Amino acid sequence: MHQLTDNALMLNVKSGDLDKLGLLYERHKKRLFGFFYNMNGNASVSEDLVQNVFVRMLKYKHTFTGEGSFTAWMFRTARNVNYDHYKKYKKEAYQAELSSVAYKLDEDSGLDTKMDKNEEVAQLGRALRQLPPEKREVLILSKYKGIKFSEIGEILGCSEGAAKVKAHRALNDLRNIFLQLETK
Amino acid sequence: MEQEKFDIWMMEYLSDGLEEEARKEFEAFLSGTPEYQEKFEKLNGTWHDLEKIVIPKPSEKMDDLFFDMLHGEIAKSKATKVSSRSWLAFVGEIFWKPQMAYGILLLVMGLSLGYILKTDAINTPVETTVFSNPDTENVREQLVLTLLEQPSANKRLQGISEANKIQKVDEKVISALLQTLNNDTNVNVRLSAIESLTNYLDNPIVREGLVQSIVKQDSPIVQVTLANLMVALQEKKSIEPFKTLMRTKDLEISVKQKLETTIKSII
Repeated sequence: MHQLTDNALMLNVKSGDLDKLGLLYERHKKRLFGFFYNMNGNASVSEDLVQNVFVRMLKYKHTFTGEGSFTAWMFRTARNVNYDHYKKYKKEAYQAELSSVAYKLDEDSGLDTKMDKNEEVAQLGRALRQLPPEKREVLILSKYKGIKFSEIGEILGCSEGAAKVKAHRALNDLRNIFLQLETK
Repeated sequence: MEQEKFDIWMMEYLSDGLEEEARKEFEAFLSGTPEYQEKFEKLNGTWHDLEKIVIPKPSEKMDDLFFDMLHGEIAKSKATKVSSRSWLAFVGEIFWKPQMAYGILLLVMGLSLGYILKTDAINTPVETTVFSNPDTENVREQLVLTLLEQPSANKRLQGISEANKIQKVDEKVISALLQTLNNDTNVNVRLSAIESLTNYLDNPIVREGLVQSIVKQDSPIVQVTLANLMVALQEKKSIEPFKTLMRTKDLEISVKQKLETTIKSII
């Protein structure tokens, strides 16, 4: 089992068994894509950024010690990739690609309720994209199953408690923006 | 309860970070405090709605691009390994060819031989080289002749010392040494001359010169030294000179007795 952990696979990659990066890609591509998509709202750019993360992981594989969490290391790389992209394309970044936002519909709801809920979630999507990037990322990371707050602290460079407080404030701000959009 | 503590507790609850017991405790706290219940309800809705924002599926193009990149990197890595291995193989091939091995062996042997010969040359005393060089011999002879003519007894002693270093002395040097033995004012110089001339006793001129020198000596120690030498050589030609010497008035009695013994020993 040990050989199948993320850390063990990445250590294999580090020692020259590059094939193992394929397994890590399959495991994490959706989460990484979701992270970028929530950050910039552009599916095509997000795909490119996922690619960039894995290219960087190969380039800097020697920096992976295996002592910390692989997920934290990977998302730290993802944050850097996103930051660099934001710096390069300031104007384009963070512009919501609203047309591509999809909605998960409740099967049991009636048509009117569905329409309302549909609108509500779309509004929430807009609110999310209006949230400052640093708040958006902590909220996105804390929503992922399997990422603990201790790891989020590691990714953001703060304590576990501070990460929880940041996530709470981000959620609170998101609700406020959402309410503001509702009243417009 | 402190607001921040509640915020942290709520985030732990929302993110499923609490055990069953802790979850029940949190829910019990909320039902007992409507004020916190209200705060929770507001954020709980937003939190759960976040899950409803559906993220589109990444396209197959993303997978294709990734695996193209990965295969490219793997190929590059293998090429680098093969390239470094083939370079080593190339070097190995060159060095393990029989001709090359013989060449290297001969080179090593040549270098070793050269090193040994060079070492021997360095270890050989300088004298050997000097003696084997005729030019140097001539210079040394000239030096001996010059030094023997110096007014300083020390210089003349140095001249005799230099003469001892000459392997094959010519007549000039022998003549100069005999002249020193006969005429030098310093007894030590004359004794050194005798000592030096004993190196060439095979030479008849030297033996003749030593015999003729007997009558010319006035120093008792030189007379006794020559007497001992003649006994050793059993030189019969020296008997007449010793008898002549015995007839001189100034001869010491002890020397006279020595000469009588010498003559008896030679006869």
